Amino acid sequence: MSSYYEFKLPAKILSGDGALEHIPHELEGFGVQAPLLLSDQGLERAGLVKIVLAALRQGGMKAKEVFCRIPPDSSIQVVNDVAALFREKGCDSLIALGGGSVIDTAKGVSMILSQGGDDLLLHSGCEVLPQGDHVPFAAIPTTAGTGSEATIVAVVANPAEKVKLEFLSYHLLPDIAVLDPRMTETLPPRITASTGFDALVHAIEAATCLQRNPVSDAFAEKAMEQIVQNLPLAVRSGRDKKARMALANGSLLAGAAFSNSMVGLVHAIGHALGGVCHVAHGDAMTILLPAVMKHNLEQCAPRYGELLLPLAGPERYASTPEEWRSAQTISVLVELRQQLSDLSGLPTTLKETGKVTPDDFPAIARTALDDGAIIVNPAEADYDDIIAILEEVWE
Amino acid sequence: MAYGSFPMCMQCATCSMVASCLCRALKFLSKRDSRIKAEALRWPEGKSLRLEIPGARGFTITGGKTGFRKLPQDAPGDVTIRFKSPADAFRVFTGQLSVAQAYAQHRFTLRGAMALAMPFVRCVDIAEGYLFPAILSRRILKRPPKKEVCAARVYAAVLFGR
Repeated sequence: MSSYYEFKLPAKILSGDGALEHIPHELEGFGVQAPLLLSDQGLERAGLVKIVLAALRQGGMKAKEVFCRIPPDSSIQVVNDVAALFREKGCDSLIALGGGSVIDTAKGVSMILSQGGDDLLLHSGCEVLPQGDHVPFAAIPTTAGTGSEATIVAVVANPAEKVKLEFLSYHLLPDIAVLDPRMTETLPPRITASTGFDALVHAIEAATCLQRNPVSDAFAEKAMEQIVQNLPLAVRSGRDKKARMALANGSLLAGAAFSNSMVGLVHAIGHALGGVCHVAHGDAMTILLPAVMKHNLEQCAPRYGELLLPLAGPERYASTPEEWRSAQTISVLVELRQQLSDLSGLPTTLKETGKVTPDDFPAIARTALDDGAIIVNPAEADYDDIIAILEEVWE
Repeated sequence: MAYGSFPMCMQCATCSMVASCLCRALKFLSKRDSRIKAEALRWPEGKSLRLEIPGARGFTITGGKTGFRKLPQDAPGDVTIRFKSPADAFRVFTGQLSVAQAYAQHRFTLRGAMALAMPFVRCVDIAEGYLFPAILSRRILKRPPKKEVCAARVYAAVLFGR
């Protein structure tokens, strides 16, 4: 547990049926009425953009502009272009509808607009931004995974240097986080499983890394409960509104937890797998989690033991001798992963992704070492450690 | 009253001195320690890192084939690590906190690409393994690094600048 900590979660959470229809009321509270709605083409085709526009109309608000060309891995150029569009069209607020890429793009746009200038590159780093001019910002997640609606983090690619830049600032947090069951109920089982496991990894790493604190622990443990109890249900039956909302809330809680205590080695290697081999983020998290937990076991055994309670429930926790609990925690997660794999085809090894070969391991390990997430991992991880983990999860 | 029993001016003086020692140690070790040498070799050409401490002297360094090199005191950095207060830097420079712990406790800010700061953090961890007594290294570092060079030679380089 960190002896000094800071925690911020200013977002107002609108969670449940009809949440979308309350966005106009909330934005009006900020004195704005001309939002720029950001999304991607997949969500536009799926009809989600239409649902949001209709909800805005019901509240007497019309989007000043709609931009649906945000790619899966957003870039500095996209962010700069959208900021220019915002100014050109005279918008006064942002609504981000999508997964991590769309919400992180909106965070980048908000950063440029609040700080002035026209290039996001000038603002990369941790906790260096002043408040600037406030641009009201509502985030509507369409997956229950990234938790980006509740985090101070934005990740945006810089293709010129082939790196993903991290931006950490308390001023990046959206003002409004909107969890509406209509936004996730059509998510296919495979993506539900992958993104849901990503949220679970956020909670587990937040609860165990060097920056953990009493408040982030509370968020993380509640997130684990919500996700473990509802993820298989949502994968099996996507229209189960109760399970979908529990997952959305779990993802938000996990996001708030890791936003304030950060993530560790699973994410460092996962980001590298995404950057080097284009492995989907949630898949990488699913594959890596048990192996990284084993790597961290010596430093984290007591904490992993405590996590058996939110992950497996009071009966299994109470019936497991204390010295076996940490190993049981890892077993519970392996069982859950296998269950999700059986239900949805979620990969459990790198080989199954079809995107990685052992020849890629050195580049992945070198990239992971330069990822900021590795710094707060509880156990040291050098090049050889990461290669060993990659070999373990290969097949 | 400053942090602990040290007056603020003493903390600033200590930070200036230790920052200078750290910079010299990094320069020396980038020629003698295989791990730091490799980090300096991989350092992106022309990029620099600046360490700033409010009220004390920091430094700016760059890497390359010949190891780490100190740049003029006022040289800007492509990446800047800035401690939020002299007391925060004092904690790190006197072995009370590792760089990882300081990061986890929001003791400094970082402007620029994190990917450039990470090699520097690894090098500082290794340098601390030489500069701090073993008991301190074991307490603050996740895995104290093995020494490839006699610590006395590192101290000599730090004291005499060679």
